[in-house]
Parts: sequence; structure tokens; C-alpha cells
Amino acid sequence: MSPQRLSLNPRSLKSRFTKGFLRSLRKIHKERPTSTSPREIFQRYRKVKTAADKSLASAVGSGRAWSRAMLCKCKNQGKRRPVLVRRINNNRAMKRSELTEKKSGDDDEEVGFDQASGLRKLVPGGQAMDLCRLLEEAAHYIKCLNTQVQVMRCIADCYTT
Amino acid sequence: MLSQENEFCMAMTVLERQQARLKWLQQLHSYGNQQNVLESSSMPQFQGFFGHTPETGELVDSKKKPGMYLGSSGLPRYGDFSLAASEIEDNKLDLVQAELRNRHPEIHHCLSRTSSFHMGLDDSANIEKLVENATGEDVTLKGKTQTSLKRLSPNKRKQELVAAECKDKRIKGDLDLESTVKEKSTKENSAGLSKQNQNTSTAQKTDYIHVRARRGQATDSHSLAERARREKISKKMKSLQDLVPGCNKITGRAGMLDEIINYVQSLQRQVEFLSMKLAALNPRTELNLDNFSKREFPAYVASFPAATLSSAMDSLSHLQLNLVQQASAGSEPELLKNLHQVEPEKTPNSSAFIPELSLDSSSFSQAQSIWDADLQALHNMGFHLHQG
Repeated sequence: MSPQRLSLNPRSLKSRFTKGFLRSLRKIHKERPTSTSPREIFQRYRKVKTAADKSLASAVGSGRAWSRAMLCKCKNQGKRRPVLVRRINNNRAMKRSELTEKKSGDDDEEVGFDQASGLRKLVPGGQAMDLCRLLEEAAHYIKCLNTQVQVMRCIADCYTT
Repeated sequence: MLSQENEFCMAMTVLERQQARLKWLQQLHSYGNQQNVLESSSMPQFQGFFGHTPETGELVDSKKKPGMYLGSSGLPRYGDFSLAASEIEDNKLDLVQAELRNRHPEIHHCLSRTSSFHMGLDDSANIEKLVENATGEDVTLKGKTQTSLKRLSPNKRKQELVAAECKDKRIKGDLDLESTVKEKSTKENSAGLSKQNQNTSTAQKTDYIHVRARRGQATDSHSLAERARREKISKKMKSLQDLVPGCNKITGRAGMLDEIINYVQSLQRQVEFLSMKLAALNPRTELNLDNFSKREFPAYVASFPAATLSSAMDSLSHLQLNLVQQASAGSEPELLKNLHQVEPEKTPNSSAFIPELSLDSSSFSQAQSIWDADLQALHNMGFHLHQG
């Protein structure tokens, strides 16, 4: 292991994400330190997942469409009741998909882009993008997901041993 | 047809009159008179020029047949005439230009064309006023058309005709004067029409700059934009291809997109799995950490091979435990360092493409029980160590 490796850029995406994620993890675990029931674990899982998404999106900032969409989603999840949110989201999603189907129909008609709607669902906020933007955002999203997986895996390994 | 001939003759006389007027203008400017004065004083004199206004009666009659103006036979003739007139005007303008330094030649150019068209349509007084306005003052085209609208309000079709004619001319002007328009329009006194001219020409130019049509490709703006978009998309696809492992071998966009979708899904599933893992594991590890944080780790780690899950982790366990300790102590910068230290050895493992991560509850609980057992052992050993 080279000593140069030690100097990590503190402003890089990885370090920013790690900082934010560890902070929110600690907060989560302070709330309910001891609970072993599956229900509790599941709730905690939801929280950890949201924390991971949120810290990644805030580390990326609001410069990207997908991070904005993700932050918005996290905010809404925290605010409202889950049932209400689901209903509203469903309505919204329905409307949006109806709207965008027309719009994206032109894009997806292009040769070899039949699967673009699949990618649209995966990339946050992808329903409202045109094809060019979607591909751009998807590339950035994949990079960030890679970083997220690396960091989370590292943290998980640290905790298990 | 007879009325057309009349109009043509009329237009010719008007051309002569224009030339005379230009000369007169020249004189005026050499005297250095103000333009307002010019406008106010010019009217009577111009009326003098246009002594034979009765002729316009025929023109008014011919106005009642809009078909003549809209017909295909009528228009080219006007176009020809106006072009010829403009050529003559150009020659004259070269002379005038020296004196009217700041004046825009384009104004004269365009206006002479439009005005010559007006001649055929309207009575000469109006036209005279119009031309004079344009040449004497720096009035934008809008103003001109408004004034002409006021005068020509009875029949709007004429206005449409004029607009169409202007458009035609603009296209021609683009073809002929594209190189010169830019220089001219940089001057302060550019008229509205020339501004529009410039806008359209620059818009076309920017298109041409970005996308070049090869031989046999369409050159209208829509297909150019479409081609630019397609190139952009293929560029993005290439960058995506570099990001996704195993995507280089696949040819064809459909397969590539499938691969990308799979990869994103697997990454998202990995995040879910890892957050599940963290959620399940953390409380106990936190507890353990609380217990262990005050003790000496290296000796403990050396005597504790059972806790390591794999050989790779074995070599790293010391570091990782240090890291965990620091995490509990709350010193983040060092933790980040350590984390980075850990990562180079981790990256081959983490970046490996895991196609399917079983997330069903049974396997998860199984894994959890294993981890729990490990942690229990870890806890006990730590406890014993403390006692010893």
C-alpha cells in the first residue's frame, strides 16, 4: 500500500458521500440502539437506504437532474404519510407517464432505442427527460452508484469484522 | 394585364423620380440639414415631383382585383423590376454612401425594393412619404410598416403581399449579400429589416458551423438539427459504453441498452443489499465498539482469526478495526484516510460485476445469524481479554 494513497481529496465525491453517510448512520443508530425484531430491522433498512440516497444526492449537489429528483423524493418520503405519498405519487406517475409517453414516443421510435423506457424508470427523474439528457444523466448516475457501492461495502466490511 | 403594364410604366417613372430624389437628398446632406427639417420641408417639393397623380386612379382600380397581385404571373415581374431597381440604386448609393457615412446602405437597398413594390400598389404620395421617412430618418421597419398599415388599412391583403415580397427578397438578399450583411449591420443605424436579415442569416450560419452536410445529405434546418441530435446521442452512448463493463463487446444499441439497464439494476440492488446489511448489523457492532473502544486492538486481532470471513479480510482486519474504532471516536478525516487505504485492495472485489444478489428473507436471516454468531464470539473474546 503506497503512502500516497493516504492523501484523499476531501472534496471528492467519495469522501463527501462517506462523511454524510456516516453521520446519518450514526444518527440512525442513536435513535434506537437495541432492536432485533425483523420489523425494526426493516424500518432501519428503509432509513439507511434513504440516508444513502440522500447523502449521495447531496454529495453530487443540485447540478444534476437525477440528484435533484432523488433529493425531492427523499424529502417527500420524510414528510408525508407513506400511504398518502404512495397514492399521490401513483397519480403523479400516471399523469407523468401519460404525458411523457407521447413525448418520449418520438425518441424511442429511433432505431435501437426501444429499451429507453426501461432506463427511464431506473434513473431518478428520468421520466421527464429527452433521450439525449437521459443518456447523459444515466452515465453520471452509474458513476455515482459505483462510488456508493464501493463506500458502503467498505463500511459494511468494517462493521462486520 | 393592361393595368399591369400601366403599373410597370408607373414604376419606371417612379424609379426616375427616385433617382432625382436621391440627388436631391445628396444635396440636402451636403448642406448638413437635420433630418426632421428634411422631412417637413421635403413634402411640398415632392408633391411637385409627383405632378401627375391622377394616374393613380387606375392603380386604385387595379387594386380591386387582388387576384392580379396574388397571381403567379404578376409577381415575378415585380420581383424582376425591383431587383433591377435595386441594382440601379446600388450604383447610386455608392455615390451617396460617401456623404451619408453612418447611414446604412442596407436601408436604402431594402427600402428601395419595398418601396418600388409599393409604387405599383399604392398612390405615389404615400410611397413618397414612406421612402422619405426611411431614407431621411432611421426608422425601423416596424415603424414603416405601421405607418403604411395606417395608410393601407382598407385592404390588408396588400400588406400580406408586401410581407411575402419582403420575405422573398430577404432570401435573395441572404444569397447575394450574406457576406456583406454582417459588416453593414454592425453599424449603429441598422434598420429593423436588416436586423431581421442578420438574425436569420446568423441562425443559419450557426447551424452550418456545427453540422456540416456531406454530399447527398439534406441541408434544411430540420434535418440538420436532427443529424446533430443523433450525433450527440451516439456520443453519449459511447461514453456509457465505457462505463459499463462488458458492454464493449456488444454491438447494436438495443443490446447495449439492455446491458446498461442490467448494470444499473444490479448496482441499485447492491445498494439495497448493503443498506440492509448495515441496518441489520449496526446495533450490535456499535455495542461491541462501545466495549472495545478502550482496549488494545492489535494483540486482540492477532489472536482472533475466526472473526475474519475471508483471506482478504484477514490481511485487512487490523486496519479495519482501527477504522471502526475511529468511527466510534468520531474522527472522520482519519477514517476517510483509512477507508481510502482499505479501498485499493477492496476495489477488485467491489467493482466485480455481481449479476444476482439474493435478497429474499431466508438467506438474509441466515446471513444475519452467521454474523450475529461472529459478533457474539468477538464480544466474548473481548470480554475474556479484558478479564485476563
